[in-house]
Amino acid sequence: MTTEKPMHRISRKRVAAGVLGAVLLAGLATGAGRSVAQTPPTQRNGLVCTTGTGTTPTFNLETKTGYINLPDGNTAFMWGYNEVGKPFQHPGPVLCVNQGDTVTVNLHNNLAAPVSIMFPGQDSVTANGAPAQPQFDSAGKATSLTNTANASGGNVTYSFVAGNPGTYIYESGTDAQTQVRMGLFGALIVRPTQGALFAYNRPDSQFTSGEEFLVLLSEIDPYQHQAAEAGQPFDITTYHPRYWLINGRGFPDSVADNFASFLPSQPYGALAHIHPWDPTTHPQPGLARYINVGTEDYPMHPHGNNGSLIGRDGKPLEGPGGQDLSMEKFSFNIGPSQTWDVLFKWYDAEHYTAAGNPVPVTVPNVANQVFGMFYSGSPYLGTTGTLPPGASTLNQCGEFYIIAHNHALYQITSWGVNMTGPITYMRVDPPLPNNCPA
Amino acid sequence: MNANTSKNRFDRRQLFRYAGGGAALASGAALAARWRGPTLEPFAVERADAAVIPTPPAGIDMYIGGTDGWISLPATPAIAPFHPDPLAPSPYSTYIFGFRNITDLTDTQRSLQKNHAQHNAPLFWVKEVDPAAANPRDFKVSITNLGLAQRPDLFDAHTLHWHGFRNVIPFFDGEPTGSVSVPAQSIFTYVYRPRDPGTYMYHCHVEDVEHVHMGMTGLVFVRPFQNDRWAYNDSTTAFDREYAMFLSEVWAEAHWADAHIQLPQWSDYHPDFSLLNGRVYPDTIAPNAPTGLDAAGLAAWNKAYLPAAVDANGDLLAPAGNPHLNRQPLSSLVNCNAGEKVLLRFANLGFKEASMTMAGIKMRVVGRDATPMRGMVGGVRNAGGADTSYETNTLPMGAGESYDAIFTAPAYVGPGAYDTYLLYNRNYKQDANLAPGGFGGQTTEVRVFPGTLPAQVLPNQ
Repeated sequence: MTTEKPMHRISRKRVAAGVLGAVLLAGLATGAGRSVAQTPPTQRNGLVCTTGTGTTPTFNLETKTGYINLPDGNTAFMWGYNEVGKPFQHPGPVLCVNQGDTVTVNLHNNLAAPVSIMFPGQDSVTANGAPAQPQFDSAGKATSLTNTANASGGNVTYSFVAGNPGTYIYESGTDAQTQVRMGLFGALIVRPTQGALFAYNRPDSQFTSGEEFLVLLSEIDPYQHQAAEAGQPFDITTYHPRYWLINGRGFPDSVADNFASFLPSQPYGALAHIHPWDPTTHPQPGLARYINVGTEDYPMHPHGNNGSLIGRDGKPLEGPGGQDLSMEKFSFNIGPSQTWDVLFKWYDAEHYTAAGNPVPVTVPNVANQVFGMFYSGSPYLGTTGTLPPGASTLNQCGEFYIIAHNHALYQITSWGVNMTGPITYMRVDPPLPNNCPA
Repeated sequence: MNANTSKNRFDRRQLFRYAGGGAALASGAALAARWRGPTLEPFAVERADAAVIPTPPAGIDMYIGGTDGWISLPATPAIAPFHPDPLAPSPYSTYIFGFRNITDLTDTQRSLQKNHAQHNAPLFWVKEVDPAAANPRDFKVSITNLGLAQRPDLFDAHTLHWHGFRNVIPFFDGEPTGSVSVPAQSIFTYVYRPRDPGTYMYHCHVEDVEHVHMGMTGLVFVRPFQNDRWAYNDSTTAFDREYAMFLSEVWAEAHWADAHIQLPQWSDYHPDFSLLNGRVYPDTIAPNAPTGLDAAGLAAWNKAYLPAAVDANGDLLAPAGNPHLNRQPLSSLVNCNAGEKVLLRFANLGFKEASMTMAGIKMRVVGRDATPMRGMVGGVRNAGGADTSYETNTLPMGAGESYDAIFTAPAYVGPGAYDTYLLYNRNYKQDANLAPGGFGGQTTEVRVFPGTLPAQVLPNQ
């Protein structure tokens, strides 16, 4: 039997379920049009870019501490990279640049330890105008993967020319087993010269405007964060994650809007809100950018579609003659520090409709079904059906909710609360025009 | 699990609903939950007679019952107090949730299968629909929920999620939040029109962490339209024999906890036993459960699953000489003749990455996640694109991944009746039952005969 730890106050699922339900419903039911903590809610779903100016974008970042909410009701103390002067956020801002841009990142360090930023996948990075270098102590022992900003007020400026298009991590290279785990990481997107709606410089990497999604996967050992908050040492040999997150949130927070007001420091939602693929009206797929900043492989499994893995770590899967070597998969086993770019789409292969092409089975009496909270009461896209007496649903307009989750299933828990963690949904709206609220 | 005690009548879904009502009223939001009253209107309950198992609709291909039960894992190493479970009736050790193939049983036999789950869930297979057919035939699987005998306090629903099936509507996906699930004594029929050959898996998706780990998991594959003896619509994937290799795991504490009305701390997860087709070595090489058919009967078998003899109560019969395996019917022993091509269909529904390794024989990976190893040409997968298949001795596979690998049996050396090769999980913690010395867990044998075996009729036979 497990030992209940004193810090672990809320562990029994039905206690937590009430909290979760309230949080989730607040998110879905009131998300539209509400004011938000950090940025106007111009983009409820999908990847939120932080951009610079012209071909020489500059990002002014500072390190900061803050707290995030976890699905079991706990909070975690975090460190983070933030835009200077803005409230704490986790994960760091998604930096979007164009291939060939000369990118400058100014880092101001407010933490009591030296910190740095690594840009894995970018070549010829400079620090303060000279080539960025690993740091060593006087005995020749490595102390940092790259140049640092001194503790408590130090600064460092990194610069590089954005290389191959794709998805990248930026993260601390200093005491990384502490600093990365504490939250010093973010995503870097390099857009190709082919255009902003392409993942790579290939015509077949095109995706639908508004259907670009971040899937940033991470993990938390609450004792490490507690130790950091108390300024005490943490024995990394006891490291044992208890929370797993997607874009810095656990389900059900993961499907709340970007910048949801009740998640003031976790701005990035993970709901993949799309319309069904159609050869004439919706011919391009969506793009999911998967990133693993954890310590082991995460097997993400999207239901209902085999995503097409078109690139890894900023390299398209192509042969020497440009042959398309993309792979379709239903489980994306993403290694630590890997990034995977996946095109995906969904359509009803059978084109079921209530009127002309009903499902070829008798739908059971409502009393003989257990209805899910996202179910419309009808098998058909764009249709709502009868719910059992007294039942309610979060479904708005007969849209479909199709799950995507980590299939190392013990990781879709939050220190014992089941069915939380790295779970999100693909929300498929009926084709336009539809009755869905704006 | 969903507790059905008087103090705890609300399951999580109901709590979501009530919380939703409160949030909606508080905010007055237009997007709030819809009220569907009147609430006092009586609804007919079709499952009024709890003793009757629903009769499936005509024309279904398979009927599966979800329930609990017991399986047998080695008594050593003992993991006190979790393993062997002191509640386990002889000859079993471990409490499970699972599926049971009740297609060919009588109503009475079906009702007697409560608490008689098998692991892994019944292997089944489907043929890819003819893409040119005007009215492609659907494959239909009904499931019913037989309830949990060991946990009458629970009222868990069940579903069937076909893991990897493309472009399915939520209604047939079995993910309970976005659609519906099946309460005790009810029935639901899932409909599939398979268009993509390859190896898949299926499982109950209710309380996913628990129901998957407890054993409601199995393997399903789709044969290509062009040829039953090809893995894909590609003659280079031809084979002479095929074996499903389904990987699952048992964390003894979690199984004990469900039997003893406890909850495990899932973030402490670790597999104590790692199973191939529901058994640990050397049970993996024990025979299949008896089919009850002679050679002519096997040759004429045309259903979507393996034939299984049952007794008067509808219970599976134990494999010859292995009475403890009567709930674990599927063998992993690979028998083949020298020079034959053998297809191994791997699917991993454990929570850990496995690394299935063959000593002395190379495997060629021809498919992965029900996708042939071919590049795309003009947006089409199976149009003669670049061959991305590869040879290897080791197949790392994460949770929820499938691999199709073909090997050519090497020449027979002798002098025994057959040569033996081992197929094992190179993550050694998972092929040793965590016991000192020797093999266990996800290990099986490949036996190469000098041409003395008759042709294979059904998978894993």
